[in-house]
Order: sequence, then structure tokens, then C-alpha cells
Amino acid sequence: MGHGHDHPHEHSHAHPHDHSHGAEHAGQGDLAPVVDLSVPDAELSPGELSRRQMFRRAGLLGAGLTAAGVLGTQGAAAAATQRTRTSTEPRDGYLWLAGDHHIHTQHSSDGMYKVSDQVRHGNAYGLDWMVITDHGSVAHAKIGVDKVNPDIVATRKAVKDTLVFQGLEWNIPAAEHGTVFVAPGRNEVATLKEFENSFDGSVKGATAGTPQNEALAIAGLNFLADAVRRRRVEDALFLANHPARKGLDAPHEIRGWRDAQPSIAVGMEGAPGHQAAGIAKPNGAGSGRGFYDNSPSADSFAAYPPESYKTFGGFDWMTATVGGLWDSLLAEGKSWWITANSDSHTVYLDTSDRGPGGNLDTDGRYNDPIYKGVPNTSNGDFWPGYYSKTHVGSREFSYTAVMDGIRQGRVWVDHGGLITALVVRARQTGTGQRGVTLGDTLHVRKSAKVEIAIEITLANQPNWAQFIPALARVDVIQGEVTGPVSDKDVFTTPATKVVKSFEVKKNTGTVTFTYQVGAVDRPVYVRLRGTDGNRGAVGLLGASVDPAGPAIDVFGDADPWKDLWFYSNPIWIAPRG
Amino acid sequence: MILGLDAGSRTVAEAEHLLHEMAESLGLPAGTVGCTHFVRTTGLAHVACSLSVPTATGRDADTASAGGAGTAPAGGTRTDSADGAGAAPAGVVDLGALPAHLGAALGDARTGPGDLAEGAALAAAAHAAGSSGRLVLFPGRDALTGTLTTAEVLARSAVERVVVLGRTEDPAPDAPLATNDFVRPQWRDGRIVLLAMPAAGGMLMPAEVPNPTPCCADHG
Repeated sequence: MGHGHDHPHEHSHAHPHDHSHGAEHAGQGDLAPVVDLSVPDAELSPGELSRRQMFRRAGLLGAGLTAAGVLGTQGAAAAATQRTRTSTEPRDGYLWLAGDHHIHTQHSSDGMYKVSDQVRHGNAYGLDWMVITDHGSVAHAKIGVDKVNPDIVATRKAVKDTLVFQGLEWNIPAAEHGTVFVAPGRNEVATLKEFENSFDGSVKGATAGTPQNEALAIAGLNFLADAVRRRRVEDALFLANHPARKGLDAPHEIRGWRDAQPSIAVGMEGAPGHQAAGIAKPNGAGSGRGFYDNSPSADSFAAYPPESYKTFGGFDWMTATVGGLWDSLLAEGKSWWITANSDSHTVYLDTSDRGPGGNLDTDGRYNDPIYKGVPNTSNGDFWPGYYSKTHVGSREFSYTAVMDGIRQGRVWVDHGGLITALVVRARQTGTGQRGVTLGDTLHVRKSAKVEIAIEITLANQPNWAQFIPALARVDVIQGEVTGPVSDKDVFTTPATKVVKSFEVKKNTGTVTFTYQVGAVDRPVYVRLRGTDGNRGAVGLLGASVDPAGPAIDVFGDADPWKDLWFYSNPIWIAPRG
Repeated sequence: MILGLDAGSRTVAEAEHLLHEMAESLGLPAGTVGCTHFVRTTGLAHVACSLSVPTATGRDADTASAGGAGTAPAGGTRTDSADGAGAAPAGVVDLGALPAHLGAALGDARTGPGDLAEGAALAAAAHAAGSSGRLVLFPGRDALTGTLTTAEVLARSAVERVVVLGRTEDPAPDAPLATNDFVRPQWRDGRIVLLAMPAAGGMLMPAEVPNPTPCCADHG
């Protein structure tokens, strides 16, 4: 299933101006061409060919073999019958699986919940996949990374319709935190453990912003790529978390990660977790939304403006600024995707408390949480799935399909259940083509007319705050692809702006819009953003770029439910010749 | 004159501590301007400090400048001063009496470890030019407590302008600003500017939050 689209495999990193490294590795999470015997050996990449040969040797290649059969924990058909969510219904040829790649447990120094606590909540709130990401640390590398695994394995069995990945929150040497996770398998723990012991900034005392530490971060990504290449793990991904929070992720570092291993380092949190942190006192923590309450430090990238330390409509400055850092990467033609996660450590108004006694340093975990009976108003997080969702267009319900969907950028994100589903297609106008979807590149002849077809299934049902969100407006953001930049620390791009806004004039059902890109002479990209219309402000780069973008969040009074946005990842349009 | 100091502090809090300590031990008068500066020399990126100090003749051009809104930046004043302060590092501050581990710069004079002396010089130059740096000590600092209007902030202190993040226009003079008893303006183009942001209750507050959530914090 999920193969009804026109060219599912050819688009790996085929973005204009960017051919670095990606082609060989990008397909490794995608088994379809490997097992599809109508694709001759000669047409496979070296990596794909070696995998096909491995399957041949194992006697696996041939009738009945599908990617799901080999790699999936359960077949897609079984998933479809067992599961009742909207995400089980294919849209545009994909299962749009909602997930969260940033979740902490009692194995983090600032966490408290059992794996099963997080997964059962995430499952109840609609998540199809989750990544357990406890902080990298000496104790975690030594004990926690081992101890968490049986809990994850047990939870996979107990909660069958949510995929639970083991990962960690990597202290990126010289930079911020990031999610690293691998596909489940025999070596998942050993690989993660070796990675953490060798490359975690905290474990290695390598947090300072030095060239040496920056190189260690790249070495870590190379390690992950090598682990995949050597089949030690089926797949591995890295995404930067809360990237602008403390100014630690310099533009050249982000470009460096991505360019070193574009099939591993694939994106960043467009919106951080801790979305309840801005709820006003006395009912809430009264902090910055996302706990974005930091100021520059010695290791911060000096050229970042003070606004970069804040959130805008709950989103990180790198993503929220039209024409800003994210767009500057997209304008280079670089695949770099955004996600939205909970960063759940301690949940807003939860009445439980960290288990008393015990010692994280010697036990690798805190004791199981206890019932305290007092709702904690200073907690700034939501349960996974409760507020933030990362929707991934997956070919099937499987670990590797989710990872591949993330890698391909078939991803959109929302807060507070603002919309139910988003289908976006870029296609040549008037040809009847299906075109391509998020993360992909539409190749057209020069000067061909192109349109973006947008179909949005509105909320139609209450979110977890028990109201039905109303989408007010959808913005189309378009930029020109101008190729690689010479200054790797650039964080703006001049030719990206909001080119069209559609007012949404209904509250139920589905809305469709078509944006006419027009005749395309130069490579461009298009991405979408939508809002409930409750808060807005002129964008940081001016009204001509973004007349009604997200407003800076009010410190100590940012009700996340009253300021909802969705963002899509981009589609590129590349004219030939 | 501007005294640059650099103990290689890795955090702003450590640098602030050094500033207070040195201002006290040097017996600097009220109205002294003391700043933190992010510097990158040969070693790790770190935080250096700068302090306005009296010159040998007892004149304190920088303090006077910083205290009056709209006047020239400290550096400009110093260049114009008749006693040629830059050429006479031997002011009331005796660099030789400073702790040996500390880098220091005053005029052309340098003491202490090389990279720290360089950091100190960078800090002093930024302060003198009013180009960058974050003010910890400044005239009127102690009067910036509780909730004030932006007009009161300007009237009571050396702060010359309040700028709100994400807005191009300055706030209204009667806009209330919750100081949180923690105000750290910055040098920007020779002027002392307080960066503010929208806060609860329709107020503004300084963009720098007093006790930020530490990395890998226990939010519980």
C-alpha cells in the first residue's frame, strides 16, 4: 500500500544545487527499490545493491517480501484493521502517522515518568510513533541506556499501535541538544551506547563552542551513518532540538551537520516542547513559552539577534521568521525539515511526583513516580500528543517507514489539533499530473506553469482542551533557490516571503485552495503555514516579507491553546535547462 | 578611562561577580559603569568585564557621559578630553596591584596572562566605543526597581532608550515596565539601550530574565 503515487523513490535529495553525499545514503531507509525485482540490479545504488544481495543470501528476496514484511513490527494490513485513528486512513497515498521525537523518562536527571507512562499517554492522545530521548549523561551512558531498553521493549508489546523508538537526547558537542534515534534491532542499545560514550558533549566534556568540539559533533554523525552503512542498525536519524533557545547552534554548525550526513542529520524542532511553560501564574509556570527564557552566553553565536531567544506563536525563531534561518537553508536547496514535539519531562497539572529515594547516578533512573495529589502548576510540559504533533507521511505502519518519511520531509506539524489532515501537491498546471508532495521536488520544463493544490481537513473534533480549533488563515510562503552560500553563518535569505494568504471561511469539513505559482523559470520552494488568527504581528523582516506572522509570545502569559499554528515542510519546484 | 578586566569567566554570573568585587576593592564611586562582554581570544569564548575608572586628574568623563541621556558615548568623550587619558594609563588604578591571574587593560597598558589581557582590552574598547557590552553597574541602577513607566526608567537612570523585541516603534512613555529588580541594558551604537519584551499584565519587562531555566533543568 501507499504506492499509488507517481514516483515514490526517485526524489531522495534531488534538490537543486545539492548533491552532496545524499544520494547514496538517502535511500537506505527505503527498501522498496531493493525488494522490487522489476528494478534491475544495475539501477540500484551501491548501498541498495548490497542490501539486495544480503536479502538474496538470506533467501528472503522474492514472492511475498515487502518492506513491511521484513522490517515492520506489524504489517500494514494488520495495522489498518487494529487501529481506529484518522492516521490509519491513507491520504494522498500515505499513512500520516503522528509522532513526537522528544520525550523524557525517569532515566533523565530532570525526568520522572516511566516509559509506559509516557507511551500510554501518547498513545491515548493519538500518537502513532514516539522516541524516548533521555538526556545524554555519564549515568545514562553507563546505566540508563541499558535499563531503559527492557522497558521500551515491554511497552512495544503492551501498546501495539504506537511505535516506540529508543533514542537519546544528545548533548551535541559545542551546541544544543538533539534527538538521536535508531530503528529497533539487535544492536540498537549497543549502537546508542557507543555513540553516547564517544560523542556526547556532556559525557566527553565537550560542550564549549570550540572547533575541536564542533568536529566531534560531525564525527558523531559520521558514526551513525557508518552504523547504518555497515548494517549495524537499520536506520538512524538526528534532529536538532530547541535550536535557537540559547543561541548555541550557529548557522555554520547546522549547515555542517546537515552537509556532513544529509541522510542522518535531517532537521530541527520548528516548535520546541514545554508549550505550557508560558501559562500565567498562579495557574501556570509563568515563564517563557517553551521555557525560552535564556539570554546569550559566551558560547552563543554572537550575531543572533535578541529576538532569537524567544518563541513566536510557540515556534522557534529559526522557523517562525519568514526569510530567516530555516528559509536560508531551504533557499540553498538543502533538505532540512521541521518537527514539533512535547519535550515532556513533567506534565502541567499532573498530580504525580518523582519517586522518592534512589539515586540516578548509581541506579541510572529515578524510582517510579508516586501519586502526590497536588496538581503541579509550575510544570511546563504536555503529555506527548496532547498539544504538539509531527505528522509523517509513511508508506506503511513501521519503524523504518516513519524514519524514511521524516528523512524525505513528508512532514507537517501542528499545535492543539488545529487541523486534522493536510494534503499538498505541487503539479504542472493543466496536465492532470498528481505532482509531488511535501519534501519532494517537482521537476518541470522551464517556464512551465505550476500550481500548489492544498486540501485541509479541518479540526472537526475537539482537541485535548475540549474545544474545536478554528483555522482562520493559510499562508503560502515562497522562496527562490539561490544555491549554496559562501558565508556558512548566513541566517537570512532575501527572496522568501508570504506570497498568498487564504482566508478559511468555514469551520467544518474540508477546505481546498489552489495557489498558482505561475511560470517557473528559476528553482523555487513553497511551504505553508496556518493560524487560528488569534495572535499576529508583522514579521521580524518586515511587512513586505510577512505582514501577519506569529507574534512574539508574551513572557509569563502565553496561553498555548489560544495561539495555534500549523507549518508544513517545503516542496521544491525545479525547472530543467 | 575604561579599565578592562578578564578572569576568563565562562558565565555571565561569574563575570558579574568579578565586576562587583573589583568595583568594591578599587573603591570606585557611585555612578561607575561596569559591563560584561563576550570575548573570543585564543582560548575558550568567555566573558570579560569593563569598568569606568577615574583618570589621574580625578576627572571621570565616562561616568558623566553615561549619566546624561543623549550625550556622546563614553569613548567620544574620552577622545575629546583635554588630559589625553588614553596616553596616561597611570591613573588611580594601579594595574600592578591587581591579582596576577587577572588580565587587565587600561589605555595602552596590559597586565596578566596574554589572552586574558587581550580579552580585557577587547572589553575596554567595546565599552569605550559604546559598541557592545551589557551594563551591570550604571548610574541609576538602584532606582530601577518594581514597576516603572519607560519614561521613569529613562529619567532615573543612564538608560537612554527602551526597545521592545519584535517592534520597530519605541514604547509609549507611560508603558509600564516590570523591572523584576534586574535591569541589564546594553551598549548599542554608543547609546545605553534596554531591551524589553511583552510580559504578563500588559506590561513590558527586560528581555533578560533574572533566573533562566538552566540547561537540562529540573522543571519539577
